Amino acid sequence: MLQPESLQPLFNVKTAKKGIEVIGVPIVFSLGIFAIWEMIVVAFSIPTYLLPPPSMILTELGTNFGSLLGHMGLTMLEATAGYALGNATGFALAILFAHSKYIEKGLYPYAIALKTTPIIAMAPLLILWLGTGFESKVATAALICFFPIIVNTVKGLHSVDSDAIDLFKSYRANRFQVFTKLSLPMALPYIFSALKIATGLSVVGAVVGEFVGANNGIGYVILVSSYHLETVTMFAAIMISAVGGITFFAVVSLLEKKIIYWQKGIETT
Amino acid sequence: MSTLVQVKELSKRFGKLVVYEELNFGVQDGEFVSIIGPSGCGKTTLLRILGGLIQPSSGEVRIKGRPVKIALAARELGFVFQNPVLLPWRTAEQNVALPLEIVGSKEHVSTPRDLLKIVGLEGFENALPKELSGGMAQRVAIARALAFKPSILFMDEPFGALDEITRNRMNLELLRIWKEERASISSIIFVTHSIPEAVFMSDRVIVLSTRPTRIEETLTIDLPRPRTTAMKNSDQYIKLVEHLRKVIGDD
Repeated sequence: MLQPESLQPLFNVKTAKKGIEVIGVPIVFSLGIFAIWEMIVVAFSIPTYLLPPPSMILTELGTNFGSLLGHMGLTMLEATAGYALGNATGFALAILFAHSKYIEKGLYPYAIALKTTPIIAMAPLLILWLGTGFESKVATAALICFFPIIVNTVKGLHSVDSDAIDLFKSYRANRFQVFTKLSLPMALPYIFSALKIATGLSVVGAVVGEFVGANNGIGYVILVSSYHLETVTMFAAIMISAVGGITFFAVVSLLEKKIIYWQKGIETT
Repeated sequence: MSTLVQVKELSKRFGKLVVYEELNFGVQDGEFVSIIGPSGCGKTTLLRILGGLIQPSSGEVRIKGRPVKIALAARELGFVFQNPVLLPWRTAEQNVALPLEIVGSKEHVSTPRDLLKIVGLEGFENALPKELSGGMAQRVAIARALAFKPSILFMDEPFGALDEITRNRMNLELLRIWKEERASISSIIFVTHSIPEAVFMSDRVIVLSTRPTRIEETLTIDLPRPRTTAMKNSDQYIKLVEHLRKVIGDD
């Protein structure tokens, strides 16, 4: 007969195998892509200002790491501050929407107008109002996060099963109890789906703000290096900004798994 | 036996659509009554009106002689729906505790643990709904409905989503729970679309017609209690099922 103990090592081998597949396979692939990239650049003698080889980008990353990280740190600070602001106000507004049809009908068109106006079109105005410093970047990041959280929170709060509402009615639960014990937890998967989308968007918002007017930040580095044809620096900055966005996404995904332990995250919008 | 539920000239309209017109019937103390009828005749709405969750357009429902609202407020009514509506983030025990938590009463007769024991789920206190089978989830829903020791249990196709084997087992389980908890639960009002289930479980079956809905027939089921699976082979049972099939026009 099989003992549970004898199954244990088998299970570990299985998880280790899965870990290799999830992390190892993409690494092998990217190493392959870098190798091909390097070979193409050398073989066709592509000028560095058009496409630098990965080895040069890596060297650039190594030598200027401190400075690049400093700029990226600022951009992430702007992005996360905007993320917090945009999601908090969007969430609060969504709760208002869910509780009052009139507020929803009156304000929803403006939320859509805000969504359809390109963020890049509004960035100059925000710089004009808030200056070239930290605040204007927080504002662009906040604006871009605003719409997904509103739509998904409203959708999530409305996703409650009518039998569940009847059940709470039969206990004569008040609105606050229905909200905290039923609607809000039911909406969490929807809310987290918006929170995950907003991670990448908030970095975009901050970088766009930096493009339009800034003296530092990773967007500023990318813009200046493009003026000076410092393509190597530009690539290094792009890679760092990608890592920043991915890390932000990974952190929020991890939080989602911890908080919504009772079901798999659903993708919406 | 006294009248537990009295329905007087009950009508329900949704806009121009007349669902019922002047329904009159009663449920006696200690009776198991099934409501059956063709789909779309408003069985589910009727059960919710009887339980005070939906307002009728006219007429009234009285429970122990008082308006249903009072019985609902006094938590004398328990509900089980087709969908067990367990909150997925709560364990079985926490789901059963939900009504007690909402009311905030510290002095309840049974703990959630006791209630789970009544429905045969001892040892599953910490299971999450996603770990429970359909039958087990419905047992948790029944345990939750028993939290306030209701005198009437309203059940809306509670086993309609289960496979036949599980449904038959749950039927026997419900009859066992009813017998054991008879001190509090005097009557069960049970909506179903299964004729054999209605005959097997009930003392009386109310057959509704198609819309506008009237009571087509009220059939007394005089099979002895306790009901056993063997009774399903008896002539009496088969005749009752056949009769109901004819009344409903089910082929």
